[in-house]
Amino acid sequence: MDVLTTVTIIFLLYSLYLLYKSYKLKCSTNCYLVDYVCFKPSPDRQITTRKCGEIIERNKKLGLAEYKFLLKVIVNSGIGERTYGPRNIIEGREESPTLDDAIEEMDEFLNVCIHDLFVKTKISPRDVDVLVVNISTFCPFPSLASRIVHRYNMRDDVKTYNLSSMGCSATLVAIDVVKNIFKSGKKSIAVVITSESISPNWYSGNDKSMMLGNCLFRCGGSAMLLTNDPAMQAQAKMRLKCLVRTHIGANDDAFNSAVQKEDDRGRVGVHLSKDLPKAAMRAFTENLKRLLPKILPYREIALIAFHIVKQKLVQPDAKLNKVVAQINFKSGVDHFCLHTGGTAVIDAVRRALRLSEYDVEPARMTLHRWGNTSASSIWYVLGYMEAKKRLKKKDRVLMISFGSGFKCNSCLWEVSRDLGDGDVWEDCIKEYPPKTLVNPYLDKYGWVHEETEETFNREERTEAFKNSPW
Amino acid sequence: MPAQPLPDFSTSVRLKYVKLGYQYLVNHFLTLLLIPMIATCVLELVRRGPEELISIYNSLDLDVIHILCSSFVIIFVLTVYYMSRPRPVYLVDYACFKPAASCRVPFATFMEHTSMICEDPKSVQFQTRILERSGLGEETCLPPANHYIPPNPTMEAGRAEAQLVIFSAIDDLIKKTGLQPKHIDILVVNCSLFSPTPSLSAMIVNKYKLRSNIKSFNLSGMGCSAGLLSIDLARDLLQVLPGSNALVISTEIITPNYYKGNRRDMLLPNCLFRMGAAAILLSNRRRDATRAKYRLLHVVRTHKGADDRAYRCVYQEEDSDGHCGISLSKDLMAIAGDALKSNITTIGPLVLPMSEQLLFFFTLVGRKLINPTLRPYIPDFKQAFEHFCIHAGGRAVIDELQKSLQLSAEHVEASRMTLHRFGNTSSSSLWYELNYIESKGRMKRGDRVWQIGFGSGFKCNSAVWKCLRTVKTPVDGPWSECIHRYPVDIPEIVKL
Repeated sequence: MDVLTTVTIIFLLYSLYLLYKSYKLKCSTNCYLVDYVCFKPSPDRQITTRKCGEIIERNKKLGLAEYKFLLKVIVNSGIGERTYGPRNIIEGREESPTLDDAIEEMDEFLNVCIHDLFVKTKISPRDVDVLVVNISTFCPFPSLASRIVHRYNMRDDVKTYNLSSMGCSATLVAIDVVKNIFKSGKKSIAVVITSESISPNWYSGNDKSMMLGNCLFRCGGSAMLLTNDPAMQAQAKMRLKCLVRTHIGANDDAFNSAVQKEDDRGRVGVHLSKDLPKAAMRAFTENLKRLLPKILPYREIALIAFHIVKQKLVQPDAKLNKVVAQINFKSGVDHFCLHTGGTAVIDAVRRALRLSEYDVEPARMTLHRWGNTSASSIWYVLGYMEAKKRLKKKDRVLMISFGSGFKCNSCLWEVSRDLGDGDVWEDCIKEYPPKTLVNPYLDKYGWVHEETEETFNREERTEAFKNSPW
Repeated sequence: MPAQPLPDFSTSVRLKYVKLGYQYLVNHFLTLLLIPMIATCVLELVRRGPEELISIYNSLDLDVIHILCSSFVIIFVLTVYYMSRPRPVYLVDYACFKPAASCRVPFATFMEHTSMICEDPKSVQFQTRILERSGLGEETCLPPANHYIPPNPTMEAGRAEAQLVIFSAIDDLIKKTGLQPKHIDILVVNCSLFSPTPSLSAMIVNKYKLRSNIKSFNLSGMGCSAGLLSIDLARDLLQVLPGSNALVISTEIITPNYYKGNRRDMLLPNCLFRMGAAAILLSNRRRDATRAKYRLLHVVRTHKGADDRAYRCVYQEEDSDGHCGISLSKDLMAIAGDALKSNITTIGPLVLPMSEQLLFFFTLVGRKLINPTLRPYIPDFKQAFEHFCIHAGGRAVIDELQKSLQLSAEHVEASRMTLHRFGNTSSSSLWYELNYIESKGRMKRGDRVWQIGFGSGFKCNSAVWKCLRTVKTPVDGPWSECIHRYPVDIPEIVKL
């Protein structure tokens, strides 16, 4: 019987060990955001509205209609005077960008931002297990992921992924990759790099739908360090609670709303169609349908279900607009990080979620200070909230972004501790929010509306502009 | 007096049998240990007799509660154990793009076009020499845009090529597997050199009307080894999403990447890269286990980017005239060999039988402690794998690997013939090679396949598959019409 007892005891101990191992594995499936760093380009790369005007003037192919259109876009864009552009555009070489220009633009970002991230988090590049890079519109060979491995001398078993062309919502796709790798339970450290390449993508033609990109996109980027190691929980800033991805590419109009193609003269640009806002709203609605059950408290979900059932019983054919109007989105979310696609995007989301000006202030201020930095914009918005000391322990932050295809990705973070690191907003946070966001050149360029094709004289206007006190 | 070199025993027949015996002993060690133990137990039981066994059972005084509790504990622990194991990833099936004969680029066509496009006669001569020694055949294909003189690399043409190769491969896969596009949960696309907005993955979502909650990923710039990277990503996702399937597309779009200049190190890709694509269906569903062709055993990735030479050996840059091209350095072979060694160091312990590992270990110990001049033992990978798919990057790559891994001509036949028939189709070449092996009727149940891919960065990635059912010929695929002509003898130099 001793043998039997011994065998039973060994078996029981082994079972306990298995259970303990499974439990430990479960604990290591959380995704923690240890820290993030946004990129602040050097001051000589700042683009003011005046500079924008100069750049537009250089394009000799533009007639009055295009000129008007562009200036209207710039002046109404909500973009301020301190955004950044790539060197080749500032130096006047926007029509003939070289591969070196694009690589230089990327190097300035990669060399500074990632270095700062490692210093801040006190992690060595040799400890990184996963590297995900998403830079949509520039894809050199070898990839930028390899460039980072080379620059920072990472290990040879590092898992690299270089995502490309996934639009302004790609940063959440990268987080999705990392989140899924973390679920295996093996303790890892992941670095996610997000940016956009502006220099090779200047549109040099005169198709209006393709010129918007020129006016709105600015240089920026961010680097994030994530881990699933419970030991780093104390150091982490936020924990990922859920991530929802929606892709409505099956709908032809949505798919064709943002397409990179050649215009009728063979010049490449990104065509933004008039269906873009509609596609964005559709994708957003689809995303919300799957997101809300995950983020709203049970009480709110029960209430919504109750209202839907009530309406279906009373008026089975009526739309659910009234019910939607009663949903309190803020019951499950404390802060909103909206992609700064433009004032139209921010206003549309504000209306849809019935948010206050306070809620969308971080997004508006980010658009004003940094412009549309594409995928990395939501990290600048998060930085604003942190600099304003809005993020407290247990707060929930919702990130929403849109991208070509058409995609809408969102995720919910829970803040782990009170945050107050100013990062790139440190030097200017006191000036925000400013008294007015109205562009100072609104009056100056008002003449555009009085001119006609006959009276418009490019050379005269250029001279007048150069001689102006501005 | 210098020691007499040992006679070459390896050719001795007796030693071969000793080696075989040693391998058998070590690899089946546990089984050999277990048999006498079981025999002893059975003898003991028989000796004791049934009455004694019954009396032992009664003396345990088990009542229903005890039995129930212990069964519950056993079942619970077994469930936890099985659930914590990694989910198996099955390769249900795959399809490769079969180019139309109208896209063929025989040597004569290639040379004629080159001499009409290229202004420098030295470049034309150089490209002729490369083609003569390349190991490519007369049936490789280039996309329609490259048949123009000069080639017409617009975005539209690039998209047209992408649609042609990718959609054909996916349509073939749907026909073979009965896959419903609405049932695809994960989509991973890799295409290094062409990255339009919206991405190629969005293009596929649009064409096949995939679901809105699909997890799509578009990898770019990751070189010829990106196919295995995509498999790795799909595998990680399949571990997390139960009952799902993943569609992986590996391709390279040639249209936008024709090099118009005269730098020699950049002219090589023009000569070697050809059109191709593969669509692979992976699944972790139990019901697919019966119809799947392969099961994924391991994926091992090695990135040598930290080393300067390795990072720069395949590099995209502009030449002095502003033409963009990919330069291949002269160190490519050495770097590939190096990357492979690192990869082998990781994959060896996972796949090699114990006999090889012990030999390697003892030789290593011997080299370190006893005699540093002892030749390093190169493990015999032919014991771990029945088939090898080496990326058909070029003749030199295949030669180099054949030498390093001590493979026979038959082992590298799939790679050489794929290079001959389809050229270097980048990340999809491994799938053309696998299809060759299947078409030749060599793939049997239980066979293990090693796919090795090399790519810019410098990366070396390996995937190990196990065949789950014998693949019967004839196999429907890109080789179906020409497999009877293969293998062909590929001369060192084809005089043009």
